[in-house]
Amino acid sequence: MKDDMNLLREIERYLEGEMSGQEKAVFEELRKNNPQINRQVEEQQFFLQQLQHFGQRQSLQAKMDHIHRQLDMPTLRKQAQEENLAAKRVSIRRRTITNLAAAACIALVTSLSTIAVLQNAAKNKSTAQYEDVRRVLNNIQRSQNALINDINNKSKAPANPGTYGGTGFAVSGNGYIVTNYHVVAGADSVYVQNNKGEAFKAVSVFEDISSDLAVLRIADSMFKSQPLPYTLKPQNAKLGEEVFTMGFPRDEIVYGKGYISAKTGFNGDTTAYQVSIPVNPGNSGAPLLDNQGDVVGIVTGKQTTSDGIAFAVKSAHLKRLLDEMPKDKSMKKEMARKSHLEGLNRLDQIKKLEEFVYMVKVYN
Amino acid sequence: MKQHQDITRDRELLLGLAKSDDKSLETIYSENFPAVLRMILQHNGSEDDAKDVFQEAIIILYEKACEGNFNLTSRLKTFLYSVCRHIWLKKVQSTYGLYAIPPEMEETIPAAEVVDEQSTKDEQFRIMESAMGSIGEPCKTILEDYYIQKKSMQEIAEKFGYTNAENAKNQKYKCLMRLKKLFFDQYNTSL
Repeated sequence: MKDDMNLLREIERYLEGEMSGQEKAVFEELRKNNPQINRQVEEQQFFLQQLQHFGQRQSLQAKMDHIHRQLDMPTLRKQAQEENLAAKRVSIRRRTITNLAAAACIALVTSLSTIAVLQNAAKNKSTAQYEDVRRVLNNIQRSQNALINDINNKSKAPANPGTYGGTGFAVSGNGYIVTNYHVVAGADSVYVQNNKGEAFKAVSVFEDISSDLAVLRIADSMFKSQPLPYTLKPQNAKLGEEVFTMGFPRDEIVYGKGYISAKTGFNGDTTAYQVSIPVNPGNSGAPLLDNQGDVVGIVTGKQTTSDGIAFAVKSAHLKRLLDEMPKDKSMKKEMARKSHLEGLNRLDQIKKLEEFVYMVKVYN
Repeated sequence: MKQHQDITRDRELLLGLAKSDDKSLETIYSENFPAVLRMILQHNGSEDDAKDVFQEAIIILYEKACEGNFNLTSRLKTFLYSVCRHIWLKKVQSTYGLYAIPPEMEETIPAAEVVDEQSTKDEQFRIMESAMGSIGEPCKTILEDYYIQKKSMQEIAEKFGYTNAENAKNQKYKCLMRLKKLFFDQYNTSL
């Protein structure tokens, strides 16, 4: 006990630098040789450090407590509570607004998309899928051509080239022509023009809106009647039967070839065929003929959602219509008993047919 | 520019704190306590919690400042706030076990390191505190006066009525040995 205390005293003197040079040297020698003493010295150093820390911290704590007591706690408390309340209110309000905004956005998007979908569906049903192939003529260019023609030829063709164009074909030798109703609908006057460039005035004598057909009569003294080379085929064409058409999608007659792709028309219409054939605006009213040169249908329109699908009214239906026509229209029922085109090759068929296919020009 | 000035001021305050300048301590304390109080109250703490947490943070700051190698990179306010937040988070977690950490308590400054470093020092402080508490008087006062207040042996002898400084010194050594024993007993078992 006594020794320990002496040692401690020595260590303290050593650490506080109270030893004289000689004492210090002796002590350091001792420290070097005796690890136990060395350890005690280090221990003492560490302990004093700890004690120092302790003191500092205690005094700091005391100071802080003193400062804390001087703080105006009630005011601070009130401030803090108010600020917290305000923050909470703001965050609640913000959350509510965010939720409301999200709900409103969803509602808006839903209703808009519903409207869009419904409108789209309605459009698809009525117009989008089905498109008449009458032609809206290019007014300016054509009017220039017509003017030049007028000056040079002094023909009776009207200077105005027309608003719409379609195709028609003769169903009798004395100037009865079949075309589509939608071509001549709302027309002030109608002219037909053959492949030679001769234009004749025509009047609509019969219209059937439900099957989209119209019968025109050429009311022009210049027109010379001639016998028809083809017949209207009374039977239905077979599925897959090869057909061809001739029409006026442009100012020149255009030939197109295809096949019957279904026995019913748009939306299951039994008075029409579905035909896989290239048609363009202006083809409306063009005849659809089979390999024998018999008329099997009249091109009326095409499906816009897919390419190469056209529709044609069946010739049997046309025949029935012509039979039902009022008799007083004095149409000569002199349709050839047998097609004169049978057995000819396609080129000759076309050559003969050209004369009986007309471009229909409509003015309104 | 403004931020830079602020940090300069904060660094001066910190230097003052390291030199145990009462004025600096008071400035730091009164400027930063309200924010911490607000934060603790917001997270279900009491005023006393706020006081404890804040003082703990100040102690950490003080000891860092005393070590001299502490480089203040953020504003003092930010540092104290995030340290307090971390301390409070730790407290709440240890008290209630699995307590959901509010997302806004997520760290903005890595205060975790600072707080974890501190736990060893806290442990040493607690051991010393309990050792001091159990040696009793007059040992406690003698040791405090000599080693902490740095009073001379002469003063202490007069204060406690020892006939001379040598007697007081002997008493002091006895006390120191007892304190050391108490401290190291606990220190070595706890480590």
